[in-house]
Amino acid sequence: MPSLSLFLSQLFNGLASGLLLALISTGLTIIYGTLGVVNFAHGALFVVGAYAGYTVYGMTHSFVIAIVAGALVSLVVGLIIERGLVRLFYGRPPEDQILVTFGVAIILVEIVRGIFGGVSLSVPTPVWGHGIAHIGTLIYPLYRLQVLFISAGTLLVLYFVLYRTSLGLIVRAGIEDSLMVNILGINVKRIFLVVFGLGAMAAGYAGVIDAPIVTLAPDMGFRVLVDSFVVVVIGGVGSFPGAIVGGIIAGEILSLTSMFDPAYSDVMLFVVMALVLILRPQGIMGQEGRE
Amino acid sequence: MDHKKDSNGNPDSGVDRRSLLKMGVGAAGGALLPAVPGMALAADKPAIGNYPAGVSGDTVFIGLTVDLTGPYSAEGSDEQKGYELAAEQLNAGAPEIKKISPLTKKGILGKTVKLGVIDAQTNPNSAVQAATRFIHDNKAMMISGSVSSAVAIALQKVCDREKTIYMAAISGSNATTGKDCQRYGFRMCYFAYTAAKAISPVLAKSLGKNRKAVYLVPDYTYGHTTYDSMKEFTEKEGWTTVGQQVHPLGSKDYSSYLINIANSGADTLVVIDYGADAANSIKQAKQFGILDKMTLVVPYMAPFLGEELGAETMQGVYGGSGFWWTLEDKYPIAKDFVTAFEKKFGEKPHDSAYTAYMVTALWADGIERAGTFYPPDVIKALEKGVKRDGPVGKVWFRGEDHQGVVNFPILRGKKPSEMKNKSDLFEVVDVIDGSTVMPPVGHFGCKLGSYT
Amino acid sequence: MNTAARSTSPLRRHLPELYVALGLIIGPFVLPYIGINSDLMTRVLIWGLFGLGFDLLFGYTGLLSFGQAAFFGTGGFVTAYLLTTGSVSMLEALLVGTVVAAITGIVIGYLTLRRTGIYFAMSTLAFGEMFFFLENSVFKSYTGGENGIAGVPPPTISLGSTVLHISSGWPMYCFVAVFFYIGYIIARRIVRSPFGAVLKAIRGNPKRAIALGHATNRYKLTVFVIAAAYGGLAGGLLGVFQAYMPPDAFTLDTSAQLVIQTVMGGAGTLLGPLLGATIWLYLYEGLQNIAGIGAYWKLILGVVFVILVTVFSHGVGGALIQTFSRKRASPADADDDLPVESHGASSLDIVPATSSAAGAPVLEARGITKQYGGLIAVSDVTFSLAEGELRGVIGPNGAGKSTFFAMLAGELATTHGQVFFRGQEITGIGVTAVCQLGMSKSYQINQLFESLTVRQNTMIPVLARRRGSFRPDMLRGLHHVQGLDAQVEAAVQLVGLSHRIDSLVSELPYGEKRRLEIGLALATGANVLLFDEPLAGLGPEERVHVVALLKSIRKGRSMVVVEHDMDAMFELAERITVLYEGRKLAEGTPDEIRADSAVQAAYLGGMDEHESA
Repeated sequence: MPSLSLFLSQLFNGLASGLLLALISTGLTIIYGTLGVVNFAHGALFVVGAYAGYTVYGMTHSFVIAIVAGALVSLVVGLIIERGLVRLFYGRPPEDQILVTFGVAIILVEIVRGIFGGVSLSVPTPVWGHGIAHIGTLIYPLYRLQVLFISAGTLLVLYFVLYRTSLGLIVRAGIEDSLMVNILGINVKRIFLVVFGLGAMAAGYAGVIDAPIVTLAPDMGFRVLVDSFVVVVIGGVGSFPGAIVGGIIAGEILSLTSMFDPAYSDVMLFVVMALVLILRPQGIMGQEGRE
Repeated sequence: MDHKKDSNGNPDSGVDRRSLLKMGVGAAGGALLPAVPGMALAADKPAIGNYPAGVSGDTVFIGLTVDLTGPYSAEGSDEQKGYELAAEQLNAGAPEIKKISPLTKKGILGKTVKLGVIDAQTNPNSAVQAATRFIHDNKAMMISGSVSSAVAIALQKVCDREKTIYMAAISGSNATTGKDCQRYGFRMCYFAYTAAKAISPVLAKSLGKNRKAVYLVPDYTYGHTTYDSMKEFTEKEGWTTVGQQVHPLGSKDYSSYLINIANSGADTLVVIDYGADAANSIKQAKQFGILDKMTLVVPYMAPFLGEELGAETMQGVYGGSGFWWTLEDKYPIAKDFVTAFEKKFGEKPHDSAYTAYMVTALWADGIERAGTFYPPDVIKALEKGVKRDGPVGKVWFRGEDHQGVVNFPILRGKKPSEMKNKSDLFEVVDVIDGSTVMPPVGHFGCKLGSYT
Repeated sequence: MNTAARSTSPLRRHLPELYVALGLIIGPFVLPYIGINSDLMTRVLIWGLFGLGFDLLFGYTGLLSFGQAAFFGTGGFVTAYLLTTGSVSMLEALLVGTVVAAITGIVIGYLTLRRTGIYFAMSTLAFGEMFFFLENSVFKSYTGGENGIAGVPPPTISLGSTVLHISSGWPMYCFVAVFFYIGYIIARRIVRSPFGAVLKAIRGNPKRAIALGHATNRYKLTVFVIAAAYGGLAGGLLGVFQAYMPPDAFTLDTSAQLVIQTVMGGAGTLLGPLLGATIWLYLYEGLQNIAGIGAYWKLILGVVFVILVTVFSHGVGGALIQTFSRKRASPADADDDLPVESHGASSLDIVPATSSAAGAPVLEARGITKQYGGLIAVSDVTFSLAEGELRGVIGPNGAGKSTFFAMLAGELATTHGQVFFRGQEITGIGVTAVCQLGMSKSYQINQLFESLTVRQNTMIPVLARRRGSFRPDMLRGLHHVQGLDAQVEAAVQLVGLSHRIDSLVSELPYGEKRRLEIGLALATGANVLLFDEPLAGLGPEERVHVVALLKSIRKGRSMVVVEHDMDAMFELAERITVLYEGRKLAEGTPDEIRADSAVQAAYLGGMDEHESA
């Protein structure tokens, strides 16, 4: 039986990893909620952001600039993808949309591999993130603690944008009923572009933030994609608070099951996802009847 | 022409051969037809596998199933370079390769070596698909290339069925020359048991006998068997095994396991992970401050781990490897190899390239000694265990299980201040005599099959 | 559009099977010249077989599953395991593998099919991943974990005294080709069966298919299990073909590759997956043969894939079919084998009335209420329809007419109150059961099967009438359904669309679609019909026609009509019920209603309101 302090450590750790996962998943959920497109390129955008951050860090040695660069690069890539390709697919059946984003994901990952090679690359922890934080009996890397706050802060900013600005209002209206928004005279095409770009940027930004914790490999996006799908399903498709709740739950599932039998931690995610789909398919915070 | 025997060793029934002839004439677009007169000419040996069709011309084809994409793509492309260097030297009859395979003149028995590469993607199915294509279409006489043992074991079995020799490149599992051994498969490189047996005394000497070890283990066969071997040999030296954290293969975030490890009370962390998993877990271990409290041991190190993590992290880390380029100071053949490699590719070779280079050379040597490409004879020549010189000393194959007896270094990460250049990441603590760390014959249940 | 009747001889009907047989025989002689060898062909056939089942599920029924690998792997590993233990013969092992996969399909299908669309797709993905985990960890001793099962013996078939050994290369191709061909023939039969027609209806408009009397959940589960069986057989063949059963048979990659190949080749064609597999695998091997391409092969493959998906909206196969069949009304025509004889004016069957007592109401609502949280849409409405009556229901917007209607039709559960049909309580039994009992509704917004012809549309309700809510008659031909064309033609004739019977619904003008909407409800054989704003969106001339139509079909039927068009309503209805703010405001003859002051007030001065829907 694990000790209380171990349990608390894992609980805390689950929160930290869960918030970052939530950040990644908000991108996916707003894209799906507004555009109705299941963006299989989400993991690849995470990778693009991370590698862009790595490159800029190598040039400037400033992690903050690297974050900005990573976010901007994935924003631009997202905009290009939406304008150049995804928008051709709005009238097409959902499986076509899934497949084209899947194809884009392959292309992006292979371009990254072509440029950077297959050797794992490392972004060092920023200077202000070095060291260990002591929280009671818990020993936790300082940078991870900072990531927790960075994720929370970013989610707060996103919340502000979505719920307190007129752009956000339009986006949320679009999630509810994009046809109606169109009829009301708002240029839905531009909204879609913005939302896709925003979602892509969230993924790329998260990629840079995460980079000092892991090592970068071109194939790392797949895991991110699958995990964020699980989060979106658990939390509720198209729901921003749902992505946060789902992310934290997913993070905790991974952390807490590792205390008992780590081999099962991955599959537990899928078991919970299947349970949610069977019992309450709209997710914890989604709306009944949305597909 | 393919003359297959079924699993009982009986010749195929007439029904099948007749239908095969019918198909072959119509279908194969001419590829099989030249083989028919060729077959009539091949005097002494009966046809088996791609013999003699594969060597009826001036070339001999090696099919390479390397990982160009996927998690081990760095090792895979390094392997490819090793193969290319070996092929180039064999075809030119270069003096370097003659030191390893003394009977070589030019090519192999005069035939030019040709290479074909298909991306195995670290995926047994893709590898098998690629190998089958090489064997059926290109008449390959040898298949090579692997990083994952799952791939190696699958390829070994397919090649055994197709009567084509398979030389594993990197394969760390005990089972490859254990219960999954095959008559047509050979593994030269060191593996879990030998790494564990070799590194444990070195660790006991450097770190002490009363240590408490905790393990980070990836959840697949290689992970579990390496853990078993390490546990066995470290405990012989007096160490205590505090526990193991088993995690799914391909995990990105090790925080939950590392928290458990930090709380385990151990003073040594043994990381069984390979490739990107090792890079991730070790980097995070450092961030958790675990490397300040515990010594890190990586008994079976991935070739590029040093570059991936950097000297800051890797300093003081003990690891096993098949090869390290600074061995050139100790072994002249290593110097030849490193120099030639650097000249051709502009970078230092790693363990993966070394293994690829060596197995090609040894295979060529086996053929030269046998005097023929006839697979059973080549196999018997390799099984004879004739000792050859390699970049780390003498190398030969053990006849009973086709496991290579090869020396290999134990490395320790250098402090950044000690590094003479950016590739100087490790110092060689000891070079292990391969013959002293081999498992007893039959220890892992190897039963080789038939030659034909 | 070509509406002339075509005679479909058996040869013509089975032309695709003939072509496929020819293709399979000729392939080995032609394809090697473009670099496709026997191994690649065999592999393509295995994927094609896997895809046959998947296309039935996805292309024909519209269910996108991302978890088919679970069945491919299950069947494959069961077969491989049995063969390596040497306990059963090869054919038996394949059979067992297929059956186990099908059973797995029942379990997973039951759990996942409760949802639709993206939720269904995601839950199949989740189950696929769970099976991968099971294979890798829990069942490791049987499956070999990440190593898979190697050493699967080459296939042998004992035929009495001789034993056929099937070696790799062309004999293996023939062996697999036989299985593929049998699978293809079966799939063709399924597609052309009544069962298959219902599948297409489910894809086209699942809600309407349910309302027309089909228990769609059972159909979906059945086709899911069929797809699982195909997957299991294909997996078993893979292990036998390669002498190795790989663990990645279970991965998401495998499921995704199946979807990619099917969409690229063209879903809904049965041969789309085969074509897609050919393209994908050919490129996969061919690109790597190009010297110096190294690891870029995957990038090029990705680009080609994106281009193909973008340019060909129905896959390459769909594009090919469109090029070669401009004369045909729709690709679906190839699947029909109805002998088109012209029948005389046969009458449309009506479900015989089974009233308990003379004069008892055929349709009765007792105090029905529908409440959504704080909003009360319909409040305590009592309603009773007599045999043979034509009742009108009117009310201003927001009166609750649609909600009321939906409760009557069994679409919506009541919060309070009950609905009775011929004395039998039908509250909340669901639209399918209600339709089978003999009541049907026509919708305010057309709910048709747009990609099918008028004939094919009308078949759907008739099939439900003739076969009940579910019958697994996958292997029977459509022409075996007794009286099918007679009933279809009678229904079509009744709504005046005989000249359009073989036209695609998507090409019909709105007015004709509206008639078909009515026609579908009629074709169910219902003796009680509910019409939700049948005149919605029609011009004045068409309105006259539809009103005449409604009058003409009264014999043997009782009808309720909701409408906004007061003139039409007063002309049609014998009695009118007025709803206002969820309550029944008034009920009586048209004259009584016209004179009722409360009604007038509710409409704010309207006797002659003409509101187009």
